[in-house]
Amino acid sequence: MMAIIQTRDFGIRYGEKAVLSHVNVDVPAGRFFALLGENGAGKTTFIKALIGHNQQTNGLLTLNAKRIGFVPQFRDITRDYPLSIAEFVGLNYNKGWRLWFSPVEKQQIAAALQRMDLSDIASKRLGLASGGQQQRAFVAQALVQQPDLLILDESTASLDHEHKVALLQNIKQLQKAQDLTVLFITHELKLVSQYADGYLLFDNGHVTQGEAKDLGALTTKMTAPYDEDEVRHV
Amino acid sequence: MFNYDFMQNAFMAGTVVSIVAGIVGTFVVARNYAFLTHTLSEIGFAGAAFALFAGWPALLGMMLATSGASVAIGALESGYTKRDNVTSAVSALAIGLGILFLALGHTSTTAATGILFGSVLGISRQDLLLLLALALLVIIVLFFNYRALRQLSFDEAGMFLQHGTQKMVRYIFLIIIALSVSISSQLVGSLLIFVLVTLPAASAKYYVTTTPQLMGVAIVFALFGTWVGLTLAYLTNLPTSFFIAVIEVLIYLVSVWQFQKNA
Repeated sequence: MMAIIQTRDFGIRYGEKAVLSHVNVDVPAGRFFALLGENGAGKTTFIKALIGHNQQTNGLLTLNAKRIGFVPQFRDITRDYPLSIAEFVGLNYNKGWRLWFSPVEKQQIAAALQRMDLSDIASKRLGLASGGQQQRAFVAQALVQQPDLLILDESTASLDHEHKVALLQNIKQLQKAQDLTVLFITHELKLVSQYADGYLLFDNGHVTQGEAKDLGALTTKMTAPYDEDEVRHV
Repeated sequence: MFNYDFMQNAFMAGTVVSIVAGIVGTFVVARNYAFLTHTLSEIGFAGAAFALFAGWPALLGMMLATSGASVAIGALESGYTKRDNVTSAVSALAIGLGILFLALGHTSTTAATGILFGSVLGISRQDLLLLLALALLVIIVLFFNYRALRQLSFDEAGMFLQHGTQKMVRYIFLIIIALSVSISSQLVGSLLIFVLVTLPAASAKYYVTTTPQLMGVAIVFALFGTWVGLTLAYLTNLPTSFFIAVIEVLIYLVSVWQFQKNA
């Protein structure tokens, strides 16, 4: 199986401080990987390195993705946010000066909306959509340019349990149908363990790679910081 | 009323300014830059006061000051400094300097109120041509960067993957705002920049859901206020800025009210 992300003795530093060191991972293409670890453990830094934001890296990082889709954690959508869901999804077309979407772009927007089950509410104002609908719109926006690697940063964090499950099922389906590689940053280990094929655990500047079958053991071994959701519901 | 040259000039200037303000305002409102825009107009006041003191045209001083300040604000703006705090510091300094230059230059009160409250009925044919050239420049620059600006304003988080573009577009946007503020000041004055740049676009977002529609409705609201305001000012001999302000505020209030009623 071809690895879409491969690192050999890879490290990232901010000035004097090493954020990650001696990272050796092989993420196979077309899989769903959970990125686990406490806040500040280096998950976002690793993602930034994948995208090419970090300059201070050493070792080897090979990325075989043609196009990356990214769903950020925080978005500023107020109730009076004016754009419709379809228009929001199209914001990702950010090159050039054309005022309206081209026929091809329109088609791709429609396809992305359909994949995230948003076709019926495409013209609804995003600000007035529910939390679950908004998250799906965020994912649809990342899908619009047909990435082969999709990275989601805590996309389930703000949702209730029912919507968390629905979103994960949706993404799992997408991953299988499109042969998409998914990196899912999350604290909700127990929840994601049903959908992930493998994981990368960020801890103390090191990264451990594991398979889905080990996730169960990880779930029982780990407590509070990795499963905030559970803590909240106790 | 169109028999008078000054009314013709005023209407043409008002039309140009309203179009620019409606277009640029759409992005300003989406990016929550209303406060920054207001600050830039205060900086514009300082620039104009300096220009009068130095014997330059007021618009030139205004453009130099706002452009310089917007670049400085862009450089200061980072994750560590709260945008509003940086802006209020700069704003306080600007007004102070403006008052100083007015005093030093022994500028007449008429010139000072002209900068602060606008003097659209005093616009000459020459001013008008300069205004038109600047407006064209702003619109051309904006449309060449339209799609990147759209993403920056409506969803900056979505630009995560285009880090480099994001930085550049930010500066382009700040310069566009600076120039638009200078242009709009000619009509409603530095103190009332909100009235044309912010309010029409803020009202528009309660009616439509795509960027071209938002710009279109914002232009219509700005034009309506300007044209009716100029006419009322002509008929009553009261200040134009007053009427434009009242009309735009009314439009805004009605927009918010109907949105909350329906949503």
